[in-house]
Amino acid sequence: MGKKRRGPSLEELLARPWCYYCERDFDDLKILTLHQKAKHFKCERCGRRLNTAGGLSVHMSQVHKEQLTEIENALPNRAGLDYEIFGMEGIPDDVLQAHHQRVATQFQQAEVERQVATGNPPAGGSSGGPAAKKPKLEPVSDLKKRLAEHRAKRADGAAGGSSGEATPVGAGLTPSASTPGTISYCTCAWSIAIAYSNPFTAIHLYRTLCSTWSPPPVAPYQQIASPGFPPFSPTGIQPGPGSMGYNATGYSPQPFSGPPGYGAPSPAYPSQQSTPTENTPPRPGSLPIPSGLPQRPAFAAPPVNAQQMQQMHMGHPMAQPPVPSYSNGDAARATPPIQSVNDTPGATNDVTEKPVDGTEKPSKKDKAKPTRMIYSDQTVSPEEKMAQIPRYAFSRDRFTQETVLGEIPDATVTGTIRDQDTVVDPAH
Amino acid sequence: MASNQFTLASPPTDAISALKFSPEPDSTRIVVSSWDKNVYVYDLRDENGQVGEGKLLQKFEHRAPVLDVCFGENENEIYTAGLDWDVRKIDLNTSQQTVISSHEAGVRNVVYSPEHKVIISGSWDSTLHVSRTDTGTTTDSLPAVIPLPSKPFSISLTATKLVVAMASRALHIYDLKALALLTAQSDSTSTNGNRVEVEPWQRRESSLKFMTRCVACMPGDTGYASSSIEGRVAVEWFDPSPESQARKYAFKCHRQTSDDGVDVVYPVNALAFHPVHGSFASGGGDGVVALWDGISKRRIRQYQKYPSSVAAVDFSASGKYLAIGVSPGFEDGKDDIPEGVVKIYVRELSETEAKGKGAK
Repeated sequence: MGKKRRGPSLEELLARPWCYYCERDFDDLKILTLHQKAKHFKCERCGRRLNTAGGLSVHMSQVHKEQLTEIENALPNRAGLDYEIFGMEGIPDDVLQAHHQRVATQFQQAEVERQVATGNPPAGGSSGGPAAKKPKLEPVSDLKKRLAEHRAKRADGAAGGSSGEATPVGAGLTPSASTPGTISYCTCAWSIAIAYSNPFTAIHLYRTLCSTWSPPPVAPYQQIASPGFPPFSPTGIQPGPGSMGYNATGYSPQPFSGPPGYGAPSPAYPSQQSTPTENTPPRPGSLPIPSGLPQRPAFAAPPVNAQQMQQMHMGHPMAQPPVPSYSNGDAARATPPIQSVNDTPGATNDVTEKPVDGTEKPSKKDKAKPTRMIYSDQTVSPEEKMAQIPRYAFSRDRFTQETVLGEIPDATVTGTIRDQDTVVDPAH
Repeated sequence: MASNQFTLASPPTDAISALKFSPEPDSTRIVVSSWDKNVYVYDLRDENGQVGEGKLLQKFEHRAPVLDVCFGENENEIYTAGLDWDVRKIDLNTSQQTVISSHEAGVRNVVYSPEHKVIISGSWDSTLHVSRTDTGTTTDSLPAVIPLPSKPFSISLTATKLVVAMASRALHIYDLKALALLTAQSDSTSTNGNRVEVEPWQRRESSLKFMTRCVACMPGDTGYASSSIEGRVAVEWFDPSPESQARKYAFKCHRQTSDDGVDVVYPVNALAFHPVHGSFASGGGDGVVALWDGISKRRIRQYQKYPSSVAAVDFSASGKYLAIGVSPGFEDGKDDIPEGVVKIYVRELSETEAKGKGAK
């Protein structure tokens, strides 16, 4: 039996044409240009398809006497008319770089994910056990429940002096890592990493993690920078020179304690997303990452005790001591649901401002972006504020007395108001 | 191709507070209330019946800024509410003004229910006044006063329901029939100042975390949309069943990214449902008006930015016109409003312009 080819290679992925405005990628440059004409360069008045944003702008101003200000259906930061894009031409270098990096990261994620799903080791290692081969569907609630259990166990384990503290959490991310389901930390990091590629789970996990889980000290974890959904990274999980994860000190509690799932204005931590897509040059931590490949975690051999070592290599649990209690069996079960969520690709890139279901679940577009509200008073409405301006002030007492005092402007009424006929017809 | 949008001649001289189309099917009459203490009555058609720049029919001066206006039984009867604490009825034919109820603070909203013949006004004194029009409006028939837990900021009604959005994110939905009945009874047994405790049909907390700015009910009497000062709109359904409640959602809009990467969030000042298609328009402090399809959860279109904040939007009864009241508001922090910035734009909508695209 010949070797089965499994999907495109990284090079092939990087070579795919993609749309600057919405980050979708296409099989063919021709299809890309067709997409751009249909989605981004189509006149909303008459439906005419133009070749470029400039063309559309000229068309709008000449034919409809309107000014084009933004590209339709574009990602929020890409809606500008600053660049003349045609197909793949005209994309600014930094955006291109960011895209490549993103593709590469996603590729790696997929790789890791595939390993977890199939149980195949990256390169000729021992088998991960048959349990993981069949992805089972499992609701997110169960997943969360188990995560909570695991956390509790982990806390016990830490108290019991396990070697967990020093284990690199992101170890599972590197393809060169040992078999899936090595020890508790690896699998855990895996599930997080994988979950991040899906917005919903990501946020769920993110929130649960942030609220209850104190992040481990060493955590080389490279996040995916998806433009439709900027990644979150729990404290400490994102290191590396090219990124700028926020750290615990910079995380200020949110002012309102509403329903947790609701997309609140996120605290001000910068996201990787906003960085590459904005085209202003001076950016902290911008992207001179050489090959566009994610950062490899520094992989110092963790102090692993014999018990764990055995687990790592056997791929199945033995007689369990109570301390590192998150067994491989658990790990195997932990992966399938994530896999299943991942099978339904999030449509984050499709429409920019379409209403998103934000009441029940967190909005996928909640950006880790500082926001400034134009009006932020929670108790006094703008009208009440305006009513306090002296110009609009009205004192009922003055009028009920039906006397006119000196300071009342001339425009107000003298005498009885009820009888006044104030009809003004400009026609006469 | 001529532009399908025009501005009305002789607009108010100060910020617009409300703007309403006549409820009569083919009418193009508009009333506009303004902070310049006047209520303006326009018709989009000029003397020759051409829809061009419209004309000002009448103007009624009040003692204080007018905060809301609505049409009554027909398009020759309007009700106004303002900072002078009064709710007035104005007969456009005779220009006669009658005060129908007086609050103890500025009156923010007034609505009229043609089905139940009641005028409901909401004031910052945290009360609703409900006045009946079919009792032969005599001056001594006092309105029923319904206490509210908070200041009402926006009210909207359908044929059967009244939605009152208040401060502290509270929201009450009243059954109009019950409300009309109870207030009618209170009229006859007029004791302690006509105060009636009416239990709302539903009490809700706003799905939005920030102050509610506007509510608007769906034309199909099935639900409502509400907007907040924090660039967000929520769509919800009246039906209290879990299935219907699971359908509710909220989305972000009316935001702009400034040069330094900060997301500037504008309040959503106005919402209006299209009477035919059931889609809705939102107007924000950023001067943008967008049309949304609440069912398929998609944006239908977004219009070119207007020069300043959108204070009010409304569709005509036929759904053919969309009027947009634009005036610089508190967003700019200006005390003075320069000449010529307050404008009323009217957009003539093509047949399918406000129609949803359908589910993807």
